[in-house]
Amino acid sequence: MADKSTPMVYLEGLVKTRSQSESVFELHVPHFTVAPGQMVAIIGESGCGKSTLLDIIALVMAPTRVDRFLVAAGNGGPPADVAAHWATDAEGLLAALRRDSLGYVLQTGGLLPFLNVRRNICLSARIKGVALAAERVESLARRLGVVDCLERMPLSLSIGQRQRVAIVRALVHRPRLVLADEPTAAVDKGRARAIMDDMYALARDESVAVVVVSHDVDLVMDRADTVYTFTTDQLSEQLSRSLCRPLADNNR
Amino acid sequence: MSERTSPIRHIPALAASHLLHEWVMSLCLVVALAAVIAPLFVLLGLKYGTIQTLRERLVEDPIFREIRPTQTQVFSSQWFAELSSWPETGFITPTILPLSSVINVVQNDSGKTKLYDLVPTAPGDPLLLENDGIVPVDGEVVLTTEAALESGIGVGEELIVRVTRSQDGRKEAAESRLRVVAVLDQRAGSLARVYAPLSLVLDVEAYKEGYAAPARGWAGATPEPYLSFDGAVLLLPEPLPAITRTGLIINSGFGRIAELSAIQVRALLGFLPPQDFAAYDLFTPGSPVTISSLRAVDQKLRGRTRALLPYVRDLKVTAAGNTLQPLGLSINAEQAQLLKIPETPWGGYNGNLPECDRLLQALWPSAKGRALTEQTEHREVEVQAAGVGEVAFALHSAGTTSFERPVLPVELLGVLRTGKQRAITFEPDGQCFAMARGGYRGFRLYARSIDDVPVLYNKLRSQGIDVLAEVAAIERIHTLDQGLTRLFLLIALLGLFGGTAVLVASLYAAVERRRRDLGVLRLLGFARRHVFFFPMAQGLMLAVLGLLAGLGGYAVLAGVINQAFAKELAVGEAFCAMPWRYLPVFGFSTLILAVLASLTAAWRATNIDPAEVIREQ
Repeated sequence: MADKSTPMVYLEGLVKTRSQSESVFELHVPHFTVAPGQMVAIIGESGCGKSTLLDIIALVMAPTRVDRFLVAAGNGGPPADVAAHWATDAEGLLAALRRDSLGYVLQTGGLLPFLNVRRNICLSARIKGVALAAERVESLARRLGVVDCLERMPLSLSIGQRQRVAIVRALVHRPRLVLADEPTAAVDKGRARAIMDDMYALARDESVAVVVVSHDVDLVMDRADTVYTFTTDQLSEQLSRSLCRPLADNNR
Repeated sequence: MSERTSPIRHIPALAASHLLHEWVMSLCLVVALAAVIAPLFVLLGLKYGTIQTLRERLVEDPIFREIRPTQTQVFSSQWFAELSSWPETGFITPTILPLSSVINVVQNDSGKTKLYDLVPTAPGDPLLLENDGIVPVDGEVVLTTEAALESGIGVGEELIVRVTRSQDGRKEAAESRLRVVAVLDQRAGSLARVYAPLSLVLDVEAYKEGYAAPARGWAGATPEPYLSFDGAVLLLPEPLPAITRTGLIINSGFGRIAELSAIQVRALLGFLPPQDFAAYDLFTPGSPVTISSLRAVDQKLRGRTRALLPYVRDLKVTAAGNTLQPLGLSINAEQAQLLKIPETPWGGYNGNLPECDRLLQALWPSAKGRALTEQTEHREVEVQAAGVGEVAFALHSAGTTSFERPVLPVELLGVLRTGKQRAITFEPDGQCFAMARGGYRGFRLYARSIDDVPVLYNKLRSQGIDVLAEVAAIERIHTLDQGLTRLFLLIALLGLFGGTAVLVASLYAAVERRRRDLGVLRLLGFARRHVFFFPMAQGLMLAVLGLLAGLGGYAVLAGVINQAFAKELAVGEAFCAMPWRYLPVFGFSTLILAVLASLTAAWRATNIDPAEVIREQ
């Protein structure tokens, strides 16, 4: 296991510029870190750049500029220099980092419709190349209440069930960080709380750090160790800038 | 780490699951591919089946491989040797003049004889071997169906044959008993024919020409070559009256008589006649002088002191690389005394061909060609004389001569002069010189395969030999084959475009449809280069399935086609039969095309940005 002090994700001086037709959006993240086992929430209105930040952490979006960007390697070795990987376009290394270290829960779906639930769950472990006991799949599925759905196809499940399966898939191969992008946006408030509770409980038991993106402050506020929020400024008609900071700093 | 557990090996299973999940779409694609592939198989099968059937029908009957001369002409043994060395030649045997190539066969019931064609054969004769026959050896014959039916003589029975000839107004006949070893199938021809080894045919021809066939007990002459000269020199102590001179050329076979100077005599005979001798040249312009002409003139001169010496002009022989122009001179004691020259060791000319030992002698010049003389004084000299065919023989040295040119018996020069017009042979152990056979007047030629027929046909025609062959039938099949091949290639090209387009479109569409799933795969840890293989694996799977379905469709169609034409076909024939050796080619090119077709889709798949697609609904 890596040192407690070694962060799962360490971001410093991140700038991401996205332009759409004539308007330009700038996301600034001066400092962002996730400690091992830590629960981090990223909260903000839509369009504030929270999904962009998550995609950058998920290694599927290249930062425009970053001073430091480290992600703990899955094997406990020295953290991977993601900034360097992007600079050298080492897409294969980023993909390897993704399958070794990360789990991802999408807003909706994210399950492959042509594989049944069990094969969907096993996929993340199989491509990581780790042996996966059937008992682990079943115990995780049982904890999230989808054990009866293992042989069914994703399309035959309710949206809530699909999200639960997605959570199992994100955790089953023992990643050290799970990223969740509004995992409960498509279900009603009651179910959302239940799903969120189950996810957090499982993550703590598995000692996995979690980064959750949500626009629903109530849903994540009291469960998170650290909360990041955004302040958006319309600098001109074309240019808007969003600054991401920890909530505690804001309060101070 | 990522090498040990490369996620790429999970791609085929995922691609297959996807195809299975969208099985209706996949099935339609497989059917579409099969609908392109199966007709190509059927077309290829039809092309090969029909061509093969047509060819086999031709191949089966040797008649289609036969190449026949249209005219009789003389063919040398060398020509036959050359022809049998051609790779296209399957079988060749010489034949003789058709008129001589007949034989009387004694009919079983009536005892009368009937004239049948006598055809030479030899081992490997396809006409016999492929028509239930075997090749006869000496003393055996093979009959055609018609010959066997007409004569009433069958396999294992004896066939009595007679050869007849007219000799000096008398009818002569020779007989042989030959065993019938086979009767040919009707297909070999409808005429009554007797197939026998070439030796019998040649003996029959020789007998008809008056020669003997000792091995068969057939009596006749030996083919001794006749003597011919360019003229004769008549030497007399006193000139002939003009009336006597004219008398010499009346009814003697000579055409002209001319006075000769002493120098001219020396040019012809090698020596100067004694002083005051009269010399005349007797000759016939444009024709050779024969023994009977000489005999006739000799008769007319009876009672006079004279020497009548035949001569041969300009005959050259080669010995040890030197070209010699020998003199022909046969002088007996009486003539030697008269002409004051030495007698020749072989005696004088008496109108007969001397024995071999006497004939093959030479006197070598002592003054000139010293080296040759010394070298050959006690030995034999190998000599070649050119003519219709070259003859080589050895001359014994009989001494030297004071003449400038070698002296040979005039009879030998007479033989060699004949050899310039008719082929003669020399057999050292046998009867010395003999007239060569009349030569072969035709051939029976079969090409090795029907494809060789046009080649042989054209080769022979380029030699100026007019021949007939079933070239048209064979060329027709070639033309049809080429036409069908071109047609097949055109349709294959169309199919190739169609099939590839179907694959390109559907694989590309599948990638577009599954952008989000491919994005999720990337998110889960697949690299760009991994998802590249997702459409490729699908293309290959669809191609293999399409190929298998196409084969199945072909099998069904080919069965139906062959069933429908079953009446027209013999057992073992098929109109639609694809050669299986084409299957690997077909399979390989299909897979290559599938890979090529998937490239656009694969490239599209690698360009999917997961960040863009994972939030699409």
